Formats: sequence, C-alpha cells, structure tokens
Amino acid sequence: MTIICLSFLIAGIFLALSNNLRDTARDLADNMTISFFLEKDATPQTTADLLKEVGRPAFIESVRFVRPEEAMAKFQATFPELRDILANLKANPFPPSIEARVRSKISTAEELVRFVQAMKARPGVTDVQFNQDWVEKMQSFSRLAKAVGAFLGGILILASFFIISNVIKLNVMARRNEIEILRLVGATNLFIRIPFWLEGIVLGLLGSLMSLGLLFVVIKVFPLYVGPSLGALQQLLNFRYPDLAQALGLLAAGAATGFTGSATSVSKFLKN
Amino acid sequence: MIELFHVWKQYQKPFWALSDVNLQIRAGDFYFVTGPSGSGKTTLLKIIFRELLPTEGQIVIDGVNALKIPDSRIWKLRRQMGLVFQDFRLMFQRSVFENVAVPLQVIGTNRKEIRRRVFATLQKVNLHHKMWEFPGRLSYGEQQRVAIARAIVNNPEIILADEPTGNLDPELAFEIVSLFKEINKQGTTVIIGSHDRELIRHFGDNILFLQKGKIVGKEGR
Repeated sequence: MTIICLSFLIAGIFLALSNNLRDTARDLADNMTISFFLEKDATPQTTADLLKEVGRPAFIESVRFVRPEEAMAKFQATFPELRDILANLKANPFPPSIEARVRSKISTAEELVRFVQAMKARPGVTDVQFNQDWVEKMQSFSRLAKAVGAFLGGILILASFFIISNVIKLNVMARRNEIEILRLVGATNLFIRIPFWLEGIVLGLLGSLMSLGLLFVVIKVFPLYVGPSLGALQQLLNFRYPDLAQALGLLAAGAATGFTGSATSVSKFLKN
Repeated sequence: MIELFHVWKQYQKPFWALSDVNLQIRAGDFYFVTGPSGSGKTTLLKIIFRELLPTEGQIVIDGVNALKIPDSRIWKLRRQMGLVFQDFRLMFQRSVFENVAVPLQVIGTNRKEIRRRVFATLQKVNLHHKMWEFPGRLSYGEQQRVAIARAIVNNPEIILADEPTGNLDPELAFEIVSLFKEINKQGTTVIIGSHDRELIRHFGDNILFLQKGKIVGKEGR
C-alpha cells in the first residue's frame, strides 16, 4: 500500500503544482495591463488624445492616466525597502503614463502586438511595457508541468497497478487451498472473485486516500521549510491543493487501479 | 444415476490408475469402493466429481455428460454432491461453524437458515459444542467429522466420501457410517471409498473391488 500511496502522491504533487501554475497564469492574464510611458513634459492635450486613442480598440477594457506622484506612491508601497533611495532623490523619476487593461479573453494577440507597436511610434510615447510574453510562458510552463505530471504519474500508477496485481496474486496463492475448497463445494467463479475484487478496490482506495492526506501535509509543510529559500520562485512553486473533482478523480483512479490489478491476477489463477 | 463407460486414467506412462472401468450406480444406492492402497479408489471418486478428467471414457451423471460441462459451469455438478476428502480439506483460518457453512453460503442461503442447519448438522456429528473452535485445535477424528458435516449440510443428492473413517476409532467409525446410512435412507446416493473390512462387512449393500485400477469384483444388488 505504501507504493500505491507514493505513486498517487507524486501524481498529486504534480497536479498541485500545475494547478498553481495554471491559476497564476490565469491571474496574470486577467490582470494583463499595458503601460504607455509618456514624455515628462507632455501637454494635457497630447495626454487627452493619447488616452482617447488607447481606449479605442475593442480589446481594451479600460484606460487610466497615472500621474508621476501616483506612480511613485505605488512604487513605494510595492517596494518599501527602497523607500530611502527615493527619498534621497531631488526630483520624481517616474514619468506620467497611461495604464490600459486588456480584456481577459483576447483571441487576437497579434492585433494587440500591432497596436502596441503602433502606439510606441506615436509622438509623446517614450516606452510601452506589457506582460504578454510572460503570460504565454506561464501558460506553456503550466501545460508542461501538467504533461510531466501525467507522464510520471502515469508511469507510477502503472507500476502500482502491477504491484497491486502482485499483492493480490500472493494473496490468491496464500488462499489457494480456500479457493480450491470453494470450487469443490460448488462456488461460482464470481463468488470466489468478489472478495478479491473488493480487496483490490480497498487497497487502491486506501492508497490514494493516504496519498491525498500526505499531499495535504506536503502542501502545508513545504512553504514553512523550503518556501523562504526559494525567493521569487516561491510564488511559482507554490502548491495548490487539488479541488474536489481532482481529489475524487485520484480516489477513483486508485480504486480502478486496485480493481484491475486484482481482477487480472484472480482471472489468471482461476483459468489455471 | 452415475454411469461410467470405459473409463481409463493414466498419470504416468506406462501405469494405468484406472483401466476400462464400467459402472452404473443407481440413485439412492449405498456403495463401498474398496481395494488395497493404490488400487484407484481415490482416482475413481475424483473422476466422478470431476476434480480429475479421465484419459479416456465417458461419465454421465443424471443424464448429463460430466465431461462436456465447461469449467465455468462445474459448480452446477458440484452443488449436487457432498464431498469428504481423505485429507479433510478444511479451511484452517476459519472456525468449524464457518467451514460447515460454506456450501450453504455459496448457494445464497440466508444467515438464519445457515445457523439453524449448521448447528443441526454439527449435532448429528456430535461437534456442536466445538462450533467456534478452529480446525487446527481439533483432533484428526474431530476434523474428519467437520469434513463430514460440511458434506451433508446442504442435503446433497450424492455423497462421495474418500476414507471418511480413516482417522476414527471403530466406535465412532460405525456411528459415522450409520449417519451416512441414515442419509442414504432419505434417497441420497452414497459412495464410500474405504479399506475397512469390518465396516464394509457390516454396512456394505453394494461393494466394488478394485485392484490396480481394474474392477475385479462386485457384490450386492
């Protein structure tokens, strides 16, 4: 049962990791903003024109003008440890900017890129910053984590299938005498099989249930011990506990593995 | 009716465990199969309940060719029979009660009825007071009586018993065969493999003598 439990634990860890990456990617996509940095001495007319232009495309949800003071306040709030450096500066280094929020479901990434390129060339705009690359990388990283999880989990679940099958085979061998007697007194094959099937299902269920428990411990304990040393990676390597459907899926996979493992070994024995 | 036509059985060349056995046992008969060790008594009984397949020949039980029954349907044949083995074949991890209850459980008898019938049967073999013991804690004679109780608990049409009194003292052996005789009176066919001459002389209606796998004599009706 330990092996069954460990197999499902590894599958569960990858599931939890890919859950986190998927959610992070979604959060990033949801919060995707484009910052258009303007010249410091941009006139109110230029700013107003640019605001209108940036807000025009359908994929832009909202636009907002960010004044230099506001930008500095935001920076100070985000990086409090750098507050002293800013205090020593004589002037505000932040330029005014326009922040545009992009709708979360954009189907036309190319159109967005074209728009950004066009805006970059506009007089009054010094630079443009947006995080689409990052979102796409996160999404593909999440897909990769899921694929690696499925592959390793799959191999391990296959291994646990053979392990369960062998455990049941040993049980069948140990109870060979009993099975023989049952056959002699007129038991049907189904009557003989059912207890072994149940045994396999219970083994698989208990193994996957234990793995869910261990996964819970891993998820709770991991940030306490390893978390701080990961620095910026902490956010990415954070585990998110499988949701109810995934947990039930793991349990069902455990039961199915147990059932199939026992069914094959009992069938082989009864045929002999 | 149990019919054997030209039954041959060979385990290892060139020896024949059974040679051209032809036999008809009518429903309700009481039969002793006797002969020296290695004469083929156990093989003959095993072939009747199809634990072994003959090398040649046919076996017909109640009009059904027993050799044509597929393995997956063999339970139908076995449910008509109560079997007592030379080596008892008890489940040592289960209590006496559970051992005797098995033939009833496999046919889906309800728990209350199982309790009633198992207790009544254990009373017949005088083992009701050891119902919750495990077979490993019983004497050979008691284990044999558990095996007999298991064979008769579901009132089978045929009882096949291989040396059922082999480990019993003469008094108990007589009691056990009397029990088989009583069951036989209710219409059950009983075939006992034994080399206990005293018992055979006392109870034998029909006697089949085997030697080196051949029927060398028959007595009875």
